[in-house]
Parts: sequence; C-alpha cells; structure tokens
Amino acid sequence: MLSLQRLEESPCRPRHFRPPPCAPVVTDERHAALIETSRSRLVATAALFALVFMVVALRLVEVVLLPGAAAEPRAEHPRRAAALPVRADILDRNGKLLATTLDSPSLYADPRQIIDPRAATRAILSVLPQLDAGEVYAKLASGKSFVWLRRHLTPHQQYELNRLGIPGLQFEHEERRVYPLGDLAAHVVGFCGIDNNGLAGLERALDKRVKDSPGPIQLSLDARVQFILHDELAKVVSDFSAKGAAGIVMDVRTGEVIAMVSLPDFDPNHPGRGDPGQPPGDAKERTFNKVTLGDYEMGSVMKIFNTAMALDSGVATMAKQYDASHNIHIGRFTIEDYHGKHRWLSVPELFMYSSNIASARMALDAGAARQKDYLARFGLLSPAPIELDEVAKPHFPHPWREVNVMTIAFGHGISLSPLNVISAASAAVNGGVLRPATLLKVPEGAAPPGEQVISPKTSEEMRKLLRLVVEYGTARFAETPGYVVGGKTGTAEKNLHGRYELKKLVSSFLGVFPMNAPRYAVLTLVDEPHGTKASHGYATAGWTVVPATSRIIQRIAPILGVEPVDETAPAIVQALAVKSLQGKKIEAY
Amino acid sequence: MTRVGALVWFVLVLAAGFATFKVKYAVQDIEDQLNHVRKQTVAEQHEIRVLNADWAYLNQPERLADLNRRFLGLVPITAHQLQQKIADIALRPPPAAEPAAPDVVVAAAPATPPATPTTPSPGLPVQLVKATPGAAPDPLDALIAQIAEAR
Repeated sequence: MLSLQRLEESPCRPRHFRPPPCAPVVTDERHAALIETSRSRLVATAALFALVFMVVALRLVEVVLLPGAAAEPRAEHPRRAAALPVRADILDRNGKLLATTLDSPSLYADPRQIIDPRAATRAILSVLPQLDAGEVYAKLASGKSFVWLRRHLTPHQQYELNRLGIPGLQFEHEERRVYPLGDLAAHVVGFCGIDNNGLAGLERALDKRVKDSPGPIQLSLDARVQFILHDELAKVVSDFSAKGAAGIVMDVRTGEVIAMVSLPDFDPNHPGRGDPGQPPGDAKERTFNKVTLGDYEMGSVMKIFNTAMALDSGVATMAKQYDASHNIHIGRFTIEDYHGKHRWLSVPELFMYSSNIASARMALDAGAARQKDYLARFGLLSPAPIELDEVAKPHFPHPWREVNVMTIAFGHGISLSPLNVISAASAAVNGGVLRPATLLKVPEGAAPPGEQVISPKTSEEMRKLLRLVVEYGTARFAETPGYVVGGKTGTAEKNLHGRYELKKLVSSFLGVFPMNAPRYAVLTLVDEPHGTKASHGYATAGWTVVPATSRIIQRIAPILGVEPVDETAPAIVQALAVKSLQGKKIEAY
Repeated sequence: MTRVGALVWFVLVLAAGFATFKVKYAVQDIEDQLNHVRKQTVAEQHEIRVLNADWAYLNQPERLADLNRRFLGLVPITAHQLQQKIADIALRPPPAAEPAAPDVVVAAAPATPPATPTTPSPGLPVQLVKATPGAAPDPLDALIAQIAEAR
C-alpha cells in the first residue's frame, strides 16, 4: 500500500505535485491511475510543442540557409507596377503621336519659407516671363502657407525653376493631356477638360475606351496626309478669302478616313482660345467640325448619285439622251444650266457638262420613290456612321414633291455632311460596296463588311463618267499626271433663310484616284470663296478646289504608295473609254 | 537530462528568433530595393513619355516643312520621277568573259526593256548558273556577248 510519503519520494512524480495538505485520503490504485494520466498528457503536449517548433525551425532553415527554396515569387511584373496614365495615347496609322498624357508639374509656394520675396519674384519671372510681377510679389509676400503660382509647367520650365534653388517653391504633380501636333488633327482627336474627361472629338466619343485601354489607340489618320490637306486647304482659304474649308481623304476600299480637316481650326492644347482680334464667338466657330457636323447642299456632286441611280435601276443607259435645250419652269422655280449646251445630251455628256436640266429630267424618269430608295441605300438620308459624336443629320424635304425630285438631282433641297457624301461616293466607285466610315485603323488587307448598294457594273460606268469630267468636263484642272484622276465638281449657292444667295457659294470637288483601280477619294469644299484676278473672278469649284485637289493628289499619292501610271497607255485608256462616245469628237466644257 | 533538454530548447529558440529577425530585415531590404526600382521605372516611363511628346512636337510636319524650306529646299516627288520601277533597271552585267569563271550570278533580266512599265512585274528572278566553259552554246553566252559588243 502506497502512502503519501512514498509518493512524494517517487522519482516519477510530477515535479510540482504536492498533495494538498488535507487531501482526501485516496486509495493507492487511484493515485497510480491519476499520475499515469497526468504523465501521459504532459508527454503528449510536450511532443506536440516539439513538433510545432521543429516545423518552424525547419522552415527557417529552409528559408534562410537553403538558397532557391524561397517563398513563391511575389514581385509583380514591372509594367503592372508602373502606374498607367489616366488616358491612353492616341497614335496615327504610322504610330505618330497625336495625343499623350504627361505628368505636368504645377508650381506653388509656401510664402512663409521665402526669405526674400523680391529676389524670388525676379528669379521666377526670368523663367516664367508671362507671369505678372506685381501679382507674384504680392503672393510671395502674403505670409500665407500655400499659394499657386502657375499650373501645368513644361518639364523644361520645371528644370529651370529647380535650378533657381529658391526654398519654399514646390511642385505638385498633375496629369495633363498634350497634343504635340497642335491644330493638325484638332477636330478628329478633340480635346479634354481640366479633369481629363473628353469634351470633343474622339477624346469624347471614345472616352471610356481611352481611359480603359492599356495600350495606345491607333487611328486611320495619316499625319503627313493630314498636313498636306491642311496646307492646301489653308492656301485655298487665304487665296479666295473664304470663310472656311473642309477636306477629307478616304480609302475607298476600307472606308478608313486618312485625313480630315476643317478650317478654321483650333489648338486642342488651348481649345477655348480664339484668334485675338476676332469676335468672341470665334472659338466656338473654330471647334465646329465642318466635315461631320456641317451640312451643305452639295450641288452637282449629287449628280454622281443621281446618275448611279438611273444607270443601276435601268431607267437610263449610257447611250440614252435627255433634252437640255430649254430651261425647265416649275412653279416659281426655273432650272437652268451654267454654261449650257442647249441641246440633247447623252448620259455621259450631261454628267461631264454638269447639266442641271438633263439631270432633273433623268430624276423625273426615275421618280420620287426610286430616288429616295437609292439615296437611302447610299446612306444619304441618315447620319454618317463614324466614331465621332459630332455628326449632322441630313436635311431632306418632307413631303418629297416632284420639284424636290428635280432639285435633288443636282444637289439642291437636300443638305448633307461632307462625310456622308464621300462615304457614298466611295461606294459608287469601289465596286458598289458601302462601308461605314471609320477613324480607327483597319488591319492591313482586311476589308470591313459592307453593303452592296449598286452593281459592280454600274460602279464601273461611274468610274468612266468621273474620269470624263476630268478629261473633258468641269474639272480639267484636276488632271494630275500619273494618277488618272476622276471626279465631279459642285458649286452650290447658299440657302440663307429660304433664299439662295447668288454671291455666297459653297464650291466642292470630289476626286478619286487612280480611276482605273480606285484607291483614294478626296473631297474638298470651300465655304464662301471670292473670285480673284488669277481665277478671272470665278469662285466656282473648277477654279478653287479643283486645282487644289490636283496639288493634294500630287503630294499625297507618293506618300500613300500609289504607283504612278501612264494615263495615255492604251490599256488604261481602253479600260476607261465610254463606248457610246467612241469615235465621236468630245466637246470640251 | 532535463537541464540539457532545456538548454537545447533555449538555444533553438534563440536561433529561431535570430533567424526570424535576419529574414525580416533581409526581406525589408529587398522590398526597399524593389520599391526604389519601381519608382525609378515609373520616373523613367514618365521621362520616356515626355521625350516621345517632345519628339512628336519637333516632328510637326509644319516645322519640318519650314526647316526644309530654310535649309534643304526639297520639293515633293513628281509622278515623272517614279515612272521607272526598280525591276525595270537591268542589273550590271557580270565582269564578262573570264573563261574560268566559277559561279556567276546572273539576273534573268529582260533583254529588251519591258513593253509597258505599267504591268506589274513578278519581281526579278535571280538564278545561280554554273558556268561550264566549252559546253554547248548557251543562250546566256549569247546575251553576255551581246552586252559586251554593245559596250
């Protein structure tokens, strides 16, 4: 029998186990069992602790001493680590930068730290001479703890200011949209507000995309072509003291807009700033995109669609003749020809001499329903589909009367945006497929889906007719050696408050080259040109935009990789010859 | 026995603590380096953006046209200058008539100028021809002779 005394002496007893002084008397068997349980519990606990510590120790050894067994890689990809700007870059089709976001430092001062406000003012003005000295001095001497001195500095200015070493000058970093090419593509790219939200152009229309895109956005524009178009249109505007001009170059096979210019334009870096010395509405006038938002009665350019309708629907054939010997009187209107031939004209003749009378008769033959149907097919009765928000809705008569049928034949009574017209004209020459105009680059070789609006045969006939206009008709100044230009002129009187103003013209020209296998269409339009001595007082399309288009084509064709050909080569002459005129002597316009 | 066990554990705890701190500082160090590199990357990316913008600004077509006007006087290329294609230009004839010429690279250039420069040419096929002196009359020899005569 075990006594308490013996238990205390037992080597196996738990170290601190002391029976309570007045512990109840227990039997030896129960003592033994109690001790066994405690022991085994302690051993189990110790083993568990040892195991955990072993695991920790082993892990430490692994991490610290054994190379290569490090924790899984946590370093992020450097690109992800680097902060992307709030707005993605916008590039032209060749990767030229049109819009970018720069970290733009803004200068502020803590006047309490400025030791000598006078010297500091002088130093700051040596870098930023546009600041007002008195104002800067007042700010620096104010004793406040924070004053803005100048927002959005250039990196160069920041460097110079840093070099001054004035204590108390600080920079705050802000992001700012920068358009390095200035006014070159102002209407297309648009601009942003101070909070980096798009307010106009693609910046506005693609706002979400520009903000979300991880990479740059590539446009269909070609900055070089854009420059040439801009340059030549500016020349037209200044030569003919016009109010403005618009121009667009389109790839007829894809619907890509290669260049889009609207004059007068603006600097997207300072969109609100008009020309000093101009009325206050000037800035608004400048931001107006004439190509997409302007709507013009296009005049004879519309004969392209009138003739295509007549030929495609079978109302007329190339050989069919129309009476253009007398003016048409309908109601209070008189339809007459400018430099009329006063005889019956065949379809090619009415097209190249731009006869209003014969065109009106041809439209009457087709009828209102068919005319409306074809204009709708060409997309001329709905806003041109393009990425921009600033798109005009065409204006057309309602109801569509007989007189409207006749005037629409030669482009009066319906007003369209130049973009509408060039998209439809591209369809007329490219084999009859209307593709939506786009400002985004289409991958090389791909052709976006389009809609067959006229038959390929009609399209071929249209190509021949357009070539005739340049060879013998109203657009002979458009002839550009090597590039087989075709086109159609249009000179419309402006309709102001329901009256046509004789002296206020909108002269336009739609050119396509090379006519044997059309690649590009060029539409130029000049608003209220005035005749000059050099143009013998004429302000019509033939004297204003037609020569300009020839110069444009001559300059852009090599850039666009259009191979020059000999337009007198028999193969080309043969391909573009009009059968019904063969063997006849063609009168020049 | 218990003392030894306690000592072992004590040493182990010390070692573990030391190792933990060492690892912690090492990690902190590397993280500092990483942050530094990241900052530098961002700064450099900003700089690249600025330089890109600057480059685009300096390449404004308007400015280039002005520089050209002042210093170079280049004019736009005319169609006339582009009339001839590269394929239309015959290669220079080989330094002809060396009897023991090993291999001669000869262009199968058209003997006469092409009829119309407008038809697309299928490129310029170049053939490697083994010159075998004394073999049967080769049309090539005739061509070479013709060229030599013309000179």
